[in-house]
Amino acid sequence: MKRELWFLIGGLILFGALFVAERTLNRYILHILVLMGIYSIATVSLNLTNGYTGLFSLGHAAFMAIGAYTSTLLTFPVPLREAYELPRLPWFLGGPDAAWPFFPALLVGGALASCAALLVGAPVLRLRGHYLSVASLGFMVIVVTFAKTLKSVTRGPMGISAIPLYTNLYWTFLWLLITVYVVWRIVNSRFGRAMMAIRDDETAAQVLGIYPMKYKLFSFAVGAFFAGVAGGLYAHFTKAIRPFEFSFAMTFQIVVMLIVGGMGTMSGPIVGATLLLALRYALKPLEEHLKLYGFIELVYALLLIVVMLWKPEGLMGRKKIALRRRKEERAWVEFSTPR
Amino acid sequence: MFSLSYFLQQSMNGVILGCIYALLALGMTVVYGILRLINFAHGALITLGAFCMYFVFFRLGLPFIASMFLVLGFGGLMGLVLDFVAYRKLRGGPEVALLITSLGFYTFIENLTKLLVSPQPYAFKTPAFLATLYRTPFLTFRTIDVFIILSSLAIMFSFHLFVRRTKMGIAMRATSENLEIANLMGIEVNRVISVAFVLGSAIAAFTGFLWGAKYGQISYDMGFLTGVKAFVAVVVGGVGSIPGAMLGGFVLGLAEILSIAFLPTRFAEYRDGIVFAILILVLLVRPSGIMGMREEVRV
Amino acid sequence: MISLLRLEQVTVKYGVIPAVQELSLEVCEGQIVALLGANGAGKTTTLKTVVGVLRPAHGRILYDGRDITTLPAPQRVRMGICLVPEGRGIFNRLTVRENLLLGAYHRRDQGEVLRDLEEVYRLFPRLKERENQIAGTLSGGEQQMLAIGRGLMSRPKLMLLDEPSLGLAPLIVRELYALIQSIREKGVTILLVEQSAPMAIGVADYVYVLETGIVKISGTPKEVESLEEVKKVYLGG
Repeated sequence: MKRELWFLIGGLILFGALFVAERTLNRYILHILVLMGIYSIATVSLNLTNGYTGLFSLGHAAFMAIGAYTSTLLTFPVPLREAYELPRLPWFLGGPDAAWPFFPALLVGGALASCAALLVGAPVLRLRGHYLSVASLGFMVIVVTFAKTLKSVTRGPMGISAIPLYTNLYWTFLWLLITVYVVWRIVNSRFGRAMMAIRDDETAAQVLGIYPMKYKLFSFAVGAFFAGVAGGLYAHFTKAIRPFEFSFAMTFQIVVMLIVGGMGTMSGPIVGATLLLALRYALKPLEEHLKLYGFIELVYALLLIVVMLWKPEGLMGRKKIALRRRKEERAWVEFSTPR
Repeated sequence: MFSLSYFLQQSMNGVILGCIYALLALGMTVVYGILRLINFAHGALITLGAFCMYFVFFRLGLPFIASMFLVLGFGGLMGLVLDFVAYRKLRGGPEVALLITSLGFYTFIENLTKLLVSPQPYAFKTPAFLATLYRTPFLTFRTIDVFIILSSLAIMFSFHLFVRRTKMGIAMRATSENLEIANLMGIEVNRVISVAFVLGSAIAAFTGFLWGAKYGQISYDMGFLTGVKAFVAVVVGGVGSIPGAMLGGFVLGLAEILSIAFLPTRFAEYRDGIVFAILILVLLVRPSGIMGMREEVRV
Repeated sequence: MISLLRLEQVTVKYGVIPAVQELSLEVCEGQIVALLGANGAGKTTTLKTVVGVLRPAHGRILYDGRDITTLPAPQRVRMGICLVPEGRGIFNRLTVRENLLLGAYHRRDQGEVLRDLEEVYRLFPRLKERENQIAGTLSGGEQQMLAIGRGLMSRPKLMLLDEPSLGLAPLIVRELYALIQSIREKGVTILLVEQSAPMAIGVADYVYVLETGIVKISGTPKEVESLEEVKKVYLGG
C-alpha cells in the first residue's frame, strides 16, 4: 500500500505542476505537452507487449485507429451528424439522439481495440514471435483499408473533422497516470513475472507450468486497450482524423520512442516519447523551411539504427537486462547461433 | 462480363504480379532461413532499384542491357553494405534486434529517397521496345508482360541451379538448416550470409525495375507494402523453403488479382486487406505454409 | 610418440558457470583416446572447444605444435580437425551426396574430393545406394555412418566423435566400433567421447574420465578398468 501512496502523491504533484503549466506556458508548448502525454500512453502500452512480454507487435497504430474512430463516432454532436454524413447511433448505443460523454467513449474505444487484439492474437500468438510482427502489420493495413472504404461510417479517405475538443492536459495526464499504474501493477505481479519469463525463455517458462498463450493474449489485449484510449485522446485533441494517419509511420514513431527510451523499463517509454516529440518539434521548422520532406523521419530512423547498434538497451535500460543480455551471455561463442 | 478472355487476361496479370512477389520472396526466404530475420529493408531495395533504373536508363540514356546490369549490381552492392554496416554487428544477438534494425534501415532509405528525389511519384515509361501491344482473340498483352515472365523464370531457374548445383548454394541451404553445424563443416557462415544478401538484394532491385515498367509509376514508398507482401508470400509458401517461396508468390499474386477481378467493383479497394486476410487465414489453418516443414523450437 | 593435440589448463565457462575447469589432456598421433563421463561432465564442451565453437576462458590449446586457442572453427577444420557432433548433426533437408560434399567444403582439390567420395561410398555401400535420398529419411545407423563419412570427407588428421553410439542398436554399435578402428588404421587420430564406457575402453589407447568439468581419472585402459569406482559407475558393476 505504501507504494500506492507514493503514486498518489506523485500524481498530485504532477497535477499541481500541470495547473501551473497551464497558466504560464504558451499554447504551442501546451499543445506539445498534450501530444507528449498521448504518445507516452501509446509507448507505455506498446512496452507491455514488446518490452515485457517479448512480442514484437507492429500494429499499434491500428489499435489507436480503432479507439480514435470508435470514440469519435460515439461523441460526435448529434446536430452535426447530418452535415458530416455520419450515422446516428443505433438503439443499443443510446438511440439516434444520443451522443456519449468523453470518458465512457474512450473506454469503449479501448475495449473495442482490446477485442480486435484478441481476435488477431488468437491465431497468431501461438506461433513464433516473427509472425506477430508481420500479422500485426497486416492487421494495420486491414484496419486502414476498412477506414478508407466503409464510407457510411468513417467518411472514407477524407476522414472525420469537427470532432469536439475534449482532450486537455488533465485528461491526458490522468490517463497517462492510469496507464503507468496499470502497467506497473501488472509488471510487478505474478502475471508480469510470467510474462517476463516467457520473454526470456519461452520453453523454460512452459516447463515451469506457465501457459504462454494466456499471458501473451492478456498483455496484447491490455496494450491494445491503452492504445485505443490514446487514439481516442488523439482524435479529440487534433479534432480531425484521417485513415492514413494511422499507418506504418505512426507505428514506427512509437516503436522508435520505445527503443530509444528502453524496452522493458518503466521510465523508458515516457522518456523516449518526450525526447522524440521534442526533437520532432525542434526539427519541424527546419523541415518546413527548407522543404526537406522526410527529414524528421530520416532522423528518427537514424536514431533507431544508432541505438540498436550501439546501445540496444535504450537510454533508460540497464545493460544486463535489456536486449544485450543474451549477447553477453554468448560472448564466448565464436559464432553463436542466432535462433 | 466474366468471359474466358477476361479470366485469361486477369490470370495473366495475376501471374505477372506473382512473378514479382516470387522474385522478392526468393531473397527474403533465404535470409529468413539463415538469420530468422524478416528483412524489411528488402522492400527498400525495390524502390532503390526502380529509381536507379529511372536515372541510368531514362536520364543518363545508357543502353537497356547495361542499365539492367547496373541495377542488379547496385542492388547487390546495397545488400552487401547493409549486411556489413548493420546485420553483421547484431549477429548472435536476439532475433528481434535484427528485425527492428531492418525496420530502421527501411525507413531510412525510404525517407532518404523522399528527401533527395521527390515526395511525388515519378512516371515510369515502359521502354519503347517493351511497349508493343499484341492482340489475340483471348489475350491482349505487351512485350513487357512477356519480358517479366521470361526474365523471372530465368532468374528463378538460375537460382534453383545455384542452390542445387554449386558449392555455395549447397552451403547456403545447409546454413539455413543448421548454422552451428555448418560452421563446424568449415563453412564461413558470414560469407554465406553476405552472398544471400547480395543475391536477394540484386534480385529485389531488378524487381523494382519490373514493377516500374509494368505499372508505370514509381515512388519513394512503393517498396513497403510490396516487400511486406513478399514476406506474406514466404509464409504462405512455407518459411525457409525456396520452391515454397516461389509458389507462395504465385499463389498470392493470383489471389490478389483474381479476388478483385471477380468480386464486385466496390471491393477493389480492399485489395491490400485481402492479401493480409489470406496471411491470417494461412497462419490459422496451416502455419507451416504450403510446402513448409514445421519450425522446430530449439531448446 | 608425437603429440597431436594438447589442452593445457583449459577452463570453459557458460556465462559465469564453468563447464570445464583446468582441463589438461593429450592426444598423440595415431591414438584413439576415450573421454568418458556422465551427463554434464563437460565432454561435449571439451570437444566444442577443441573444434573452436566455444572459446576457453583460460588455458591453451595446442594442435600439431601450433597454438590454436584463438583460431575460428572454419580455420581449424582446414587444419584437419573435424567434429562428428552428438546427435549426428546431419543436414536433414539435403541429400546424402550433398551432405558428404559439405564435409569437403573447405577443400579446393575437386578431383581428390570426388575420389574420396568414392572411397567413403566403398566404406559405406548403403550411402551409395541412397546417394540422392534426402538425409532426413535415413535410419539412425545410416545417419551415423553419414556423419562419420562426412567427417572423413574433410581428410581429417584428428577426428572428434561425440557419443557416436547414442541411440543405436547394439549390433550396429559393434559395427561402428569396428569402423572406428579401421579409420584409425588409415592414420586418423581419434578423440572419442562416450557415456557408455565398455566399448570405448575396448578400443582406446588412453582413457580420461571427467566428472563435473574436472579430470577425475586418467590412464591406459588396463589401469582404468581395474579401478573400483570405474567398474562401479561406468562398467556396470
